Amino acid sequence: MTAAPLPILAARNVTKTFTTGKEQELVAVDNLSIDIHEGEFICLLGASGCGKSTILNMFAGFTQPSTGEVLLRGQPIVRIEPRCGMVFQSYALFPWKTVRANVEFGLRMKGLPAAERRDRASAFIEMVSLKGFEDHYPAELSGGMQQRVTIARLLAADPEVLLMDEPFAALDAMTRQVMQEELLGIHERSAKTIVFITHSIDEALILSSRLFVMSARPGRVKAVIPNTLPTPRRLSVQFSPEYGALKSTVWGLIESEVRRSGTEAALD
Amino acid sequence: MSEIVRNDALGAAGALSAEGTRVRAAARAKRTRRQPPYLLVISVLSVLIFLSLWYIATERGWVSPVFLPKPGRVLAEGMSNLASGQLMMDVWMSTQRVVLGFLLAAAVAVPLGIVMAVWAPAKAAFDPFVSLLRPLPSITWIPLTMLWLGIGEGQKIAIVFMGSWIYILLYTIESTKRVDPLLIRAARNLGAGDISVMWHVILPGALPGIIAGLKVTLAISWSCVLSAEMIAAQNGLGALIWQGKDWGNLALVLVGMLCISIVVLAADKLADVLERLLLPWERHQRS
Repeated sequence: MTAAPLPILAARNVTKTFTTGKEQELVAVDNLSIDIHEGEFICLLGASGCGKSTILNMFAGFTQPSTGEVLLRGQPIVRIEPRCGMVFQSYALFPWKTVRANVEFGLRMKGLPAAERRDRASAFIEMVSLKGFEDHYPAELSGGMQQRVTIARLLAADPEVLLMDEPFAALDAMTRQVMQEELLGIHERSAKTIVFITHSIDEALILSSRLFVMSARPGRVKAVIPNTLPTPRRLSVQFSPEYGALKSTVWGLIESEVRRSGTEAALD
Repeated sequence: MSEIVRNDALGAAGALSAEGTRVRAAARAKRTRRQPPYLLVISVLSVLIFLSLWYIATERGWVSPVFLPKPGRVLAEGMSNLASGQLMMDVWMSTQRVVLGFLLAAAVAVPLGIVMAVWAPAKAAFDPFVSLLRPLPSITWIPLTMLWLGIGEGQKIAIVFMGSWIYILLYTIESTKRVDPLLIRAARNLGAGDISVMWHVILPGALPGIIAGLKVTLAISWSCVLSAEMIAAQNGLGALIWQGKDWGNLALVLVGMLCISIVVLAADKLADVLERLLLPWERHQRS
């Protein structure tokens, strides 16, 4: 019997509780154990408030689990981890840096020479269709454009794992499709591990190699679904019968969760 | 906004450059936005009415010249002091004291404030002194500084320093603390160490607040130098006003006061220009 390959990212019995006002405890993540292997494209799919962002924040080292541990290549993540790069939902661009300087930031931290930084940054700026905006400041750009800058900034920094917290949420439908195809292409070419949060079933089905359906409050993995749709994947996969079958399976799992959290929200 | 988002959808180079033009045009419109002309007319009229009331009241003898000199007297006094070079000399002396005291205060308080904001032990060490020194108006330092430094330039500069540094310190601490922690996280996530976080995130993030604090403090520095000059000085605008009072020359007092207003206003405008040069990204902030 051969040993299973070491997962690149793992959570072992992770629970995360937050203390809210009046000493009430909110269990954001409850006894979560997952293994993510190198090169996988994982989508965490679930309704709002099911602890998806908390999981990502623990993988990035922004917060520590209350109990249990998160591991990167078998080593506990105890501080902010540059090997797990994050695309923030709220962009987190440096307002005092131009688009180019923002995208170059990770390369600069690695000590790359200026000329090489510039070349690499230009390639990623072009990839997210922001050519011509290199010298603009973030405040001059629309929300969707700023979101594309954060994606370019992370891709240029070239971390081992890409953590993406609803990165396309601020984009309109058409730009989102373009970005989805780009991300699929990047994943195919680089075989990077990607953990991607979404609440769109379609987005999860198009992008993922495996998808985790999350239950709401406390956050648990309700089901792990291997995505059997053919690769390399194009957006046209949405018109295949397999897609429809898989979508209805996922929807069946998620519907009750959405209704449950919906009523809870109404009762709040 | 909605148009920008819609353009975003196309993603094609053509649409994006159209969007860029729009963004640039909006920025230009914001820069050149002026108040409507009739408001300017009202401002000018208001000043003219004030001057004519002053003129009439003094010409008709409604107000004794002992209490309020005629506008013509003030103008003549100003011109003669300007011609003799005395006025420019006083302006220069006061400005020099303000600038030296203010720069010294900034050189001490800005670094100290940043350290206090990011390193709790430093804050704990300096907090008691800040609390004790903060309520003291700068003029309360006049006796001690005279005893220690005499009545020369050093003493004037010390008064400006003592009246200014604490405000610069408080503004610096506040704006350094208010730097968005998410940006610090993002920088660390992109591989930044402590020094890079300080240089690329905390300093530029705090800079707008620090500069705003410096601008407010500059006006305070001016009031410090004037009170120091009124109490003991051979020259400077404060001394000029005090001489006017001693000689019963109210016109000279008014000239001095007007001069202070003009110099402080000019310093403020200069600070605005410097601010715009130092903070190019702030020009585009959508408010």
